[in-house]
Amino acid sequence: MTATIIGTQGLTKRFGAITAVDGIDLDVREGDVYGFLGANGSGKTTTVRMLLGLVLATSGTAEVLGRPMPRDGRHVLPQIGALVESPAAYPRLSGRANLRVHDALAHGRRATRKGRVDQVLEQVGLAGVDERPVAAYSLGMRQRLGLAHALLGEPRVLVLDEPTNGLDPQGIREVRDLLLQLHRGGTTIFLSSHLLAEVEQIATRVGVLDRGRLVVQERLDVLKRPTGRTYVRTPDVAQARALLDGQVESYDERSLLVRVDDVAALNALLVRGGVRVSGLAPERHTLEDVVLEAAGASSDRFES
Amino acid sequence: MRPAHRWTAVAVGTALLVGIPLAVRARPAEDSGISAVDLLAKVEAGADHPYSGYVESLGTLQLPTADRFTDVGQLFGERTRMRVWWRSADAWRVDKLLTTGEQDLVHNAQGTTRWRYEQHDATLSRDPSIRLPRTADLVPPAVAKLLLDDVDASEVRRLPARRVAGVDAPGLRLQPAAPQSSIDHVDVWADPRSGVALRVEVVAKGATRPAFTTAFRQFDARTPPPSRTEFEPPAGAEYRFDDVLDIADAANQYAPILPPDVVAGLAESPQADGAVGVYGSGVTRLLAVPMRGREAGPLREQLLRTLGVRTVDSGTLVTLGPLGVLLTGTEGEGGWLIAGTVTPDTLTRAADDLFANTVYVSTR
Amino acid sequence: MIRLLGVELHQLVRSRRTWVTILLIDLLPTIVAVLLKLTDIGPRPGTGPAFLSAVLTDGTLFPLAAMAIVLPLFLPIAVAIQAGDAIAGEAEQGTLRYLLVRPVGRTRLLVAKLVSVIAFVLLTLAVVAVTAYVVGVLLLGTQRVAGATTTVSGTPLTQGELVTRTFLALAYALLCMLGVAAIALFLSTVVDTPLAAAMGTMAVLVGSTLLLTLDAADSIAAFLPTRYWLAFVDLFRDPILWRDVVRGTLLQGAYVLVFLGAGWANFATKDITR
Repeated sequence: MTATIIGTQGLTKRFGAITAVDGIDLDVREGDVYGFLGANGSGKTTTVRMLLGLVLATSGTAEVLGRPMPRDGRHVLPQIGALVESPAAYPRLSGRANLRVHDALAHGRRATRKGRVDQVLEQVGLAGVDERPVAAYSLGMRQRLGLAHALLGEPRVLVLDEPTNGLDPQGIREVRDLLLQLHRGGTTIFLSSHLLAEVEQIATRVGVLDRGRLVVQERLDVLKRPTGRTYVRTPDVAQARALLDGQVESYDERSLLVRVDDVAALNALLVRGGVRVSGLAPERHTLEDVVLEAAGASSDRFES
Repeated sequence: MRPAHRWTAVAVGTALLVGIPLAVRARPAEDSGISAVDLLAKVEAGADHPYSGYVESLGTLQLPTADRFTDVGQLFGERTRMRVWWRSADAWRVDKLLTTGEQDLVHNAQGTTRWRYEQHDATLSRDPSIRLPRTADLVPPAVAKLLLDDVDASEVRRLPARRVAGVDAPGLRLQPAAPQSSIDHVDVWADPRSGVALRVEVVAKGATRPAFTTAFRQFDARTPPPSRTEFEPPAGAEYRFDDVLDIADAANQYAPILPPDVVAGLAESPQADGAVGVYGSGVTRLLAVPMRGREAGPLREQLLRTLGVRTVDSGTLVTLGPLGVLLTGTEGEGGWLIAGTVTPDTLTRAADDLFANTVYVSTR
Repeated sequence: MIRLLGVELHQLVRSRRTWVTILLIDLLPTIVAVLLKLTDIGPRPGTGPAFLSAVLTDGTLFPLAAMAIVLPLFLPIAVAIQAGDAIAGEAEQGTLRYLLVRPVGRTRLLVAKLVSVIAFVLLTLAVVAVTAYVVGVLLLGTQRVAGATTTVSGTPLTQGELVTRTFLALAYALLCMLGVAAIALFLSTVVDTPLAAAMGTMAVLVGSTLLLTLDAADSIAAFLPTRYWLAFVDLFRDPILWRDVVRGTLLQGAYVLVFLGAGWANFATKDITR
């Protein structure tokens, strides 16, 4: 079993009477791309802030890289790159100058500073950016700069809160590719998002937060396991129904959904029976099903 | 450290920072148990003892501010900060400290020099026997000397000691017997070793809070060095000699009259030698200054604008705490300015006596 | 810590706001000097800032007069804004959370911000003093024939003594502003916007100044932050009157300790939710 990078026990945060995070037990392993899913207001950002020592837990413990947070923040945080909620930078300074400030604070050596700053700008696609102040940046550019901040110092762990906010489809693709590339390089990524698709595309493990509770925490491939049913596409629907009597769960004019354990045997049976098969696909659970089933009603709905 | 611990540490630190000075100040003063009569004798004996220090006086009398009396009004109506070095009655220096500078009085063999920093001038004058009050009269030993003059032992009793300028000073209360007096009592605390008065409070009849308080905040009973009472006008400063110190001095020297020997039952003081009458002693004192029309006019206007002013038969009368002021005559006329720590009734009787018995001389 | 200080000071001197503020503060004494030169009318005795009456004949005293001009109002406002911005400004911009996860220790950040404010005050005082000296000597001249400056008590003051006492006065002014900075820094950790922190500090100062005019507040006067601000004049008496300067120093020291302590207690465990 690989090492736990982020682990919490009964992590709870109350703001007055409101319980924002309610006793969650996170388990993020080395090499994971951990998709931390939840609707807006479900407590994702508060959790991220607790992991980084910005918000102090009401009860429960958090360990990051094997050390307690926030107590050992001085040792832990230098190995973490973070994008918390939204990027922020000194608006009068250029993006490059902002990165230089952070590089100086992160104990980087002065002589190699330019190289490091240029490298992260290159990584996030801002290599050619001019010296205009951050105040004049577009939302997408700010997001890229925020990512550059996080990448500075080659962190072992990336904690990213909604990293694709404000990016166009092209930008989202670039960020995804960048994260996958970093992941291949051994970086553990904790990706907090409310976008199912974003998480589904790159996560290896998923945690789902609903109104402060961690309702699901599992490997993505386990969540997306086959349902035991198979889609059969065929022009001969009636013939197939007759052949598979009792196993067909539903059908329409062009396809059937068949409960079957052995797909190869199903195919052989259909072919033997003279049914023309144009497609055959085992049905899998979708992340959306999992999340909806676990989370129930949307958290911003208020019904009597 | 938990938040509660941090806040506790801060709260304890704050309490210590605030509490220690308060506790030090609240420490009770030791009383030597000296009797009232002995203390009175000690203070009288210490009248010429040298000293130096820092004095704050606080007057609550809102005197009318006619231009020639402005300084007097400030002395008795405001807070005055002073530094004083007193070698003897013939060599002393009193600095009135202002946030914008200083006004100093330096007294030595040459006379009294007044230095004003902001005006950048120095004025040398003789020291007349009759004059208006000045800063040097506000330091506790000077006030005590004036008020405890001619006091009968039956009029004083002891007050508990209190700490004044770090000295455990035994206290003395003087309750004047004279019916003319407007003063209920005068409290004096003195240095038990030198007898120098350290704090004086004057409370008017019918009042609970002092009308005038003066006290040392820093006190040293050693003789200050001679250099402190020397004054060399700085280069570039205006330096002049003034023949006449103030309006009282001028009237005393030049007005062609002689006031009567007794007014309102108060005898004239031996120091009065000219047109200005000084009557009574100790806490019951009265000053009568003859004024010409152009001097009396502005003062009368100011008096008429003062809160609680009364027009009586003999003129315009104002009482400010223990101080009564009566300006005789009406608009356009000269008259007597009668002021003192006496009752209004005593003032009007004094006016009557002055009208009846003043002698006009042809020349002075 | 040194890197953090380096970054903070670098930000301070690079910021356009720093220099605009200093320029505005510097402008007032300069205007006063020009008006004095043109009209040759000094303030009436007992009114106006200390030393202003003296500069008409002695321009070398103008740095002190300039200090007396800016110390009661301009400088404290600037310090309140600067220190009020320290934590609340970073929080409002969102940069605070990125500083803290970099990581920058919270106590260190607080100290670095204080040092940055001290540097700002030093810079301002230096600029004001130098400009005032140049303006004073050029415009108001050294007309005093004998050349010697006098103390407030009328005794001569050598150039050496004048310089020493001027530096003492500047140090004292710096300390007084440190007290303001500590209050503003504390408020900056409490409220969400820099404006609120600056206004809160100004409210404390205005309240203190107002209470000082009341005889009824005599018993607490010695604890009010602005009580001994103008005591630097006492350094120019002969002999120097240390009483108020010493008390002022102790008082400001206590304010710095208490409010930095409170700022630390609050900020070290504060949830950063912005």
